Amino acid sequence: MSRFEAVNWNAPETDYTELLWTQNTSQFWLDTEIPISKDLKSWAKMSSKEQLAYMRVLGGLTLLDTEQGNVGMPMIAQFVQDKQKKAILIFQAAMEEIHAKSYSTIFTTVASLDMINDTFEWVKENKHLQYKTSVIDSLYRNIKPGDGLSLYKAMVASVFLESFLFYSGFFYPLFLAGQGKMVASGEIIKLIIRDESVHGVFVGLLAQEVFAALTEEEKQVAAAFVPELMNDLYRNELEYTEMLYDDIDLTHEVKKYIRYNANKALMNLGLEPVFEEEDVNPVVLNGIRTETSTHDFFSTKGNGYQKGKVEPLHDKDFSLLNDRVNQSNIF
Amino acid sequence: MSTQIAKWIQLNNEIMVQKNGSFQFEKDREAARSYFIDYVNQNTVFFHNLEEKINYLIEHNYYEKETFDLYAFPDVKKLYDFVYGKKFRFPSFMSAFKFYNNYALKTDDGSKFLERYEDRIAVVSLFLAKGDMEKAMSYADVLITQEYQPATPTFLNAGKKRRGELVSCFLLEVDDSMNSIGFSINSALQLSKIGGGVSLNLSKIRGADEQIKGLDGKASGVLPVMKLFEDAFSYANQLGQRDGSGVVYLNIFHADIQEFLDTKKINSDEKTRIKTLSLGVVAPNKFFDLVEEDKDMYLFYPLTVYKEYGKHLDDMDITAMYDELVNNPRVRKKKIVARDLIMKIAQTQMESGYPYIMFVDNTNDYHALKELGRVKFSNLCSEIAQLSEVSIINDYDEEDIINRDISCNLGSLNIVNVMENKRMRETVHLAMDALTEVSDRSNVRIVPSVAKANRELHSVGLGAMNLHGYLAKNKIAYESKEARDFVRAFFMMLNYYSIERSMLIAKEREETFLGFEHSEYANGNYFERYLTKDYSPVTDKVKELFEGLPIPTKEDWKCLKEQVAEHGLYNAYRLAIAPTGSISYLQSSTASIAPITQRIEEREYGDSKTIYPMPFLSDENYFYYKEAYDMDMFNLIDLVADVQEHIDQAISTILYVKDDLTTRDLAKYYIYAQKKGLKTLYYTRTRKKTIDECVSCVV
Repeated sequence: MSRFEAVNWNAPETDYTELLWTQNTSQFWLDTEIPISKDLKSWAKMSSKEQLAYMRVLGGLTLLDTEQGNVGMPMIAQFVQDKQKKAILIFQAAMEEIHAKSYSTIFTTVASLDMINDTFEWVKENKHLQYKTSVIDSLYRNIKPGDGLSLYKAMVASVFLESFLFYSGFFYPLFLAGQGKMVASGEIIKLIIRDESVHGVFVGLLAQEVFAALTEEEKQVAAAFVPELMNDLYRNELEYTEMLYDDIDLTHEVKKYIRYNANKALMNLGLEPVFEEEDVNPVVLNGIRTETSTHDFFSTKGNGYQKGKVEPLHDKDFSLLNDRVNQSNIF
Repeated sequence: MSTQIAKWIQLNNEIMVQKNGSFQFEKDREAARSYFIDYVNQNTVFFHNLEEKINYLIEHNYYEKETFDLYAFPDVKKLYDFVYGKKFRFPSFMSAFKFYNNYALKTDDGSKFLERYEDRIAVVSLFLAKGDMEKAMSYADVLITQEYQPATPTFLNAGKKRRGELVSCFLLEVDDSMNSIGFSINSALQLSKIGGGVSLNLSKIRGADEQIKGLDGKASGVLPVMKLFEDAFSYANQLGQRDGSGVVYLNIFHADIQEFLDTKKINSDEKTRIKTLSLGVVAPNKFFDLVEEDKDMYLFYPLTVYKEYGKHLDDMDITAMYDELVNNPRVRKKKIVARDLIMKIAQTQMESGYPYIMFVDNTNDYHALKELGRVKFSNLCSEIAQLSEVSIINDYDEEDIINRDISCNLGSLNIVNVMENKRMRETVHLAMDALTEVSDRSNVRIVPSVAKANRELHSVGLGAMNLHGYLAKNKIAYESKEARDFVRAFFMMLNYYSIERSMLIAKEREETFLGFEHSEYANGNYFERYLTKDYSPVTDKVKELFEGLPIPTKEDWKCLKEQVAEHGLYNAYRLAIAPTGSISYLQSSTASIAPITQRIEEREYGDSKTIYPMPFLSDENYFYYKEAYDMDMFNLIDLVADVQEHIDQAISTILYVKDDLTTRDLAKYYIYAQKKGLKTLYYTRTRKKTIDECVSCVV
């Protein structure tokens, strides 16, 4: 009979697991914290083409987050051995569900019921969206117990999803928020990006560990698999981008952004970038720097706040403080 | 809406794209120029000459005719020529954008500009000088040289025919009655409608589970009242431009304090969650004593206190009354652990930035009007500290008893320009005149308690900005002894000249604020510290900076004390250091007396996103521009404490912390600030480590 083992956080599994757990949990947030209704005015000023593009962009993102929360993260978590890593993955899965829901929060606030329903119908019908989801999904579902190669492939798929495929969608909200449009919704997207960047890094690290444990033969297969998958998804992504962005003349900009993020995804896996460096639109690039940006307190929420760490005061704190008061009288 | 990005936004954002390892600062000037040529000039209504322009603007209800009627046209022309002759240019895209986007007069459909920066300054000067040409020239001079900057409502509205109020920050007491709550909601709506930020003191409201009409357990406490205010503020949104803003303050000994703080917790129930209202706690020193001694603390139910003493809980000196209240069996109370409460405050601040904290005993101990009334709460930016008295709102058939609430009327000196132009006395005098003028011309009739206080007290709040900019420009570190040496002298002088001017106004008009004779100014106590302590600079570096500027001596102070005793003061309150949001961008200056948060700021300001390198930022001063998050907050508090000695009201003080701080660290800052005599703490800002910072060091 196999014995069940409890997760033991007193014994660190690696140098970075607890750090990543802390990072993940401290940046917990809920969609309802952001006052989306502030965007109503901005929304009303958008042309119908722009509104349509925005809805579809968010629709596509919803599908990817649904896949990642329902299938990707739980599947990978199931096959990762270490219990702390599992815990982090499951927490990340929960965040993915919050991401998926937060797009709906934007929808329900700004759009009509018809528009919302049309968007979800469109998600079901769009062949590029369906294609990328099915490619990723089959890699997730093909993980076999004890087969490191299949796990590696799934992790690569996950990193591609988190660090690469999301960004064709993120582009538009960032582009608008950078110009002061749909700013509250942009805030949500930035919170999502803040999470996804940690997810991408974490699963990328796990993938590198899995890769290191593969046999030489498997490593060769894995090494060939990555560019093949990248090419396949990249081609699909270009067409998806044209379909979404042609009407609003942004296709060219978005494609550069996709390549930029494809490189980032490869780097998360510890691999060399494959695309030439290009100048990505600075408005969008500034949107993904994840430091706390300076922030008008009366307007949006900002990505600056987070759960507090509790530690009690000690009696000795007061003698130190009293000493400091005395020392501070230097004049 | 075009999907193409404007050239100036593109250029401005390119600052951040590094070339050969350094930022492209020159892109900002290019962006400012492009904004001007490609946008502002293209979208400005053309007039053949000044006369045509002013006539047009008056005829079409843009400018107020009365302002211009007081001057002969050649004088008006002379003023405009003088201002334009200064050849002012905005040094960064941010400053130009701020002005044209938020301040410049536009056509009614919002499509074209009718004013340049120079025009706004000329109109503000003419408006404030009320026909005195010499005065108008003086105002124009300190405005265009950017030595003095009126707060947004004044700068934006002066001289316009259809305009908002000249002041926009209000503080209201709320009594423990349905009439008063209803009246306050109406006041909050009215003040939000005219663009005001409103602070409410809820400490008098009976606690949850107290009696109503003698029936136990019927009252619902402070929370539902907060909800009502929150909804009122979001309803009055100035034609959809921006939601009204409000803050509610509660005394820390109020029975509902824990629930009050819980409204900001991330995972609290939607029904009790307060999203858009700001919170402040009012903390007497007794609370800090209990924390230090690690004792239990009692929270009091305000209605039982009022019934027992005929006085509201927060009108009392709670520190003095604490034992009495604890030992009185007829005062209902609740026991909690003091340290738990300070932890809760710290945790809530980390999660939401709130609450603000007012150290109410520090405020009242140094209150120059202590014999006239108590300070009980602060405002939306926590720089106001004035007395207030609750009004009694009666039924329709009975007259109300209207007492004094608070309005704030602010302006700021730009430290860099004041120090460089070496005419501080003149500048402070003009600033005090400008603020007094605004007070004289404000009459907020819709809220009679505010109008009454303004009529009787003529309160103003002169502050300062660009401290960090000045220090960096002169290669002084913000956390150094020299920085403290500088602020001690500078703010002592600000205090001196503002008292001097207020005394001169009283002398000219033969009128003081109501109750002057009972103030600490009249009995001379206020001047004690200046007669015993020398505030002139001690370090060589700072002495050098003050060369050419006379520094008031103990002798001067003694003389001023006598003049004040003889003539009185016109303004009951004079100084307050505001956080200076928009106006510091207009002035290309660092905000308030605060340290910078980023050498190159990425600013999300409601409706726009802009990259803003700090003023004068260069390779030479790069390291003197240390970012606030890298500073020791104890050093920041030391500096603020040095400034606070000279400021009769308060200072908006923001704490900047990194996310690895715990509640214990934060609580230590509060305790230290209280011990150092700060009057308020504004919110706490947390910077998250980015993932690069935290993983790159381990993997």
